[in-house]
Amino acid sequence: MEVVVSSKVSIPSLSHMNVPYFANVVKDEKGNFFAYKSEEKIDKVELKSNPDSVAIFKVKYDIIEGLENIFKLLEVSLNENSKILVIPTLVSAGYTYMRENTSPEFLEAVLDFLLEKKVNIKVGTQSFNDIPVEGLAQKSGLLDVCLKKSITPFDLGKSNFIKKEELELSEEVLNADLVLNLSVLKAGKAASTDNIFKVLKKENYSGLKYLQSEKEISEKLSKTLSNVVTVGEAETVQRKNGIAKYLGLMFGGKSFLNVDAIFNRVIMNKNVPETIKEINPESIIVSGRSIMEVEQDIDI
Amino acid sequence: MEQKTYIKGVGMTKFDYSQKHWWQLAYEAAIEALKDAKMNISEIDAIVFTGMSSASGGEHQTHKVSLLSGLFKVNIPIIETPSVCGGGGVAFWTALHLQGFKNILVLAGERLVDNKSEVVTDEILSAAERVIEQPEGMLFPVQNALVWQMYAKKYGGSTDDLSLIAFKNHQNAALNPNAYFYKRPMDLEKVKNSPEVASPLRLMDCSLSVNGGAAVILSHEETDIEVIGSGFATDFLMTFEREDMTHFHATRKASKMAYEQAGVGPKDINVAEIHDAFTSVELLSYEDLGFAEEGRGGELIRSGKINLNGEMPINPSGGLKAKGHPISATGLAQIYEITKQLRGECGERQAKNAKIGLTHNIGGAGGSVTVHIFKKK
Repeated sequence: MEVVVSSKVSIPSLSHMNVPYFANVVKDEKGNFFAYKSEEKIDKVELKSNPDSVAIFKVKYDIIEGLENIFKLLEVSLNENSKILVIPTLVSAGYTYMRENTSPEFLEAVLDFLLEKKVNIKVGTQSFNDIPVEGLAQKSGLLDVCLKKSITPFDLGKSNFIKKEELELSEEVLNADLVLNLSVLKAGKAASTDNIFKVLKKENYSGLKYLQSEKEISEKLSKTLSNVVTVGEAETVQRKNGIAKYLGLMFGGKSFLNVDAIFNRVIMNKNVPETIKEINPESIIVSGRSIMEVEQDIDI
Repeated sequence: MEQKTYIKGVGMTKFDYSQKHWWQLAYEAAIEALKDAKMNISEIDAIVFTGMSSASGGEHQTHKVSLLSGLFKVNIPIIETPSVCGGGGVAFWTALHLQGFKNILVLAGERLVDNKSEVVTDEILSAAERVIEQPEGMLFPVQNALVWQMYAKKYGGSTDDLSLIAFKNHQNAALNPNAYFYKRPMDLEKVKNSPEVASPLRLMDCSLSVNGGAAVILSHEETDIEVIGSGFATDFLMTFEREDMTHFHATRKASKMAYEQAGVGPKDINVAEIHDAFTSVELLSYEDLGFAEEGRGGELIRSGKINLNGEMPINPSGGLKAKGHPISATGLAQIYEITKQLRGECGERQAKNAKIGLTHNIGGAGGSVTVHIFKKK
């Protein structure tokens, strides 16, 4: 996409606090015009992919467009008949607007995206609290979405678990070609990391958390699992006070820890959780949009 | 307009940073309009109100019509027609099309500037596209800077012309007691050297967000000022999705409707109030309203014809640029100015031979536009 005209912006606003930046009108190969923010003066827009990056994409109403671009930026291709395990976030018996669980719209877009690739899809997670996962799935609307797509979700907690050193991992996770970790990104949380804990046997997770820490569990999981891609839902996100705020982004990455670190940097959160405290976001490769282009203090 | 419609009374507050509530500003303007019309509120048959009234401090009120009922102690129909910066014009257009009412009070009151400028800017930005354009840095000055660049790329165009527009409007505002810049004319060099906000637009190319109220009383009873033409058109919210980004299509369409209805053309207009949210918008509007040929708006400002002592003064009030821009009240303040000009009541800023006047009010970046034409009896 070529830049047609460009303006150097020198006035800060709530959504764009760091100035100067460049606001451009760009034209694509079909002759469509778009607005596009850049950190530097540019002549054309090139989205460079990198498999080791955290990918950032601006969602413009179309979630599937976001998913396609996240996969492209991470250079992840899906082969026909490959086995995909989708792990949605399901932590409370709450409606979508609470921004606690994966939204039904997001899960539906993910399933449509995967169905189009003709892959074998399984959807499963488990409850780490007192409410059975079936109850959570029903209240959140995720059960309906799965049934609509003729997919019967299952309780990951009832699957076989295989011991790998200190970790007891679900067999479903180890058998999958790709595990899709659907996190619901929240300010001040390591939401992608929290969701991937669901691949562990509940008792194993609780024990390790008591004896060690979530940070140590996450590092061990990170080293053990090589088939995970995290897609972070961040169109409307929870602030630290729980109130939702529109952000309009989607994140992706093969490292769930890096996705959480970049998300917290983008929303300018200074009190990052222990799990990712030692990760320097500046050391992480970012693809798609730069941090400066999308950063926003969502607590304002 | 099936029936002939006239302006019976006009009123407005001074445009400034008063921290009076939006309804107090609306009330003051209404009282002045009623006095001007020599009427009592009991003679008003309906009210059309417009306002953003975001009041970011937390007093935002969505049931304004009920509040106004209590304020005026009336139980008549009260309609609200929000259309952001174009709200005044849209409210007036709505009143013109209301059937079965003899006297209608068209009213606006805004206290938008009541917080830090970043917060106020964010409130104003709710008038533009929030999901696709604003995350890409499109604030109103930025959007208009890019539209100007597209124009300049197509036709050529000098920012010196934009400075002349700012200079003209500041000179006019200095003569208008209701303008924020009353008695404070601006030096041309100061305009040219003001800080750049979004290249190439500078601070002095941007209108001034202020608070204020304005009111107009429409009547089917004959007065000295007749409304002879009215046009209203809309366009896409996203500027860069439009086919032609160098002009405002809605202005062209609304003005065509108004001219046809009035049976007059651009050459018949003696005085005009144009929506100069940015100096570049005023220049593009010369062309969209037919005052200049496409690509030749710059020649019009350089000619001096539209200065206060010229053939067809544009923005004798000082415009949004220097009188101030209290969002929804702007469109009605434009009608206030044209009514006073046609009546010959403008003192030092009186346009010569003002018989037919035009108002042009834009909502957002050309998303809703009204054009009205008035004739002195």
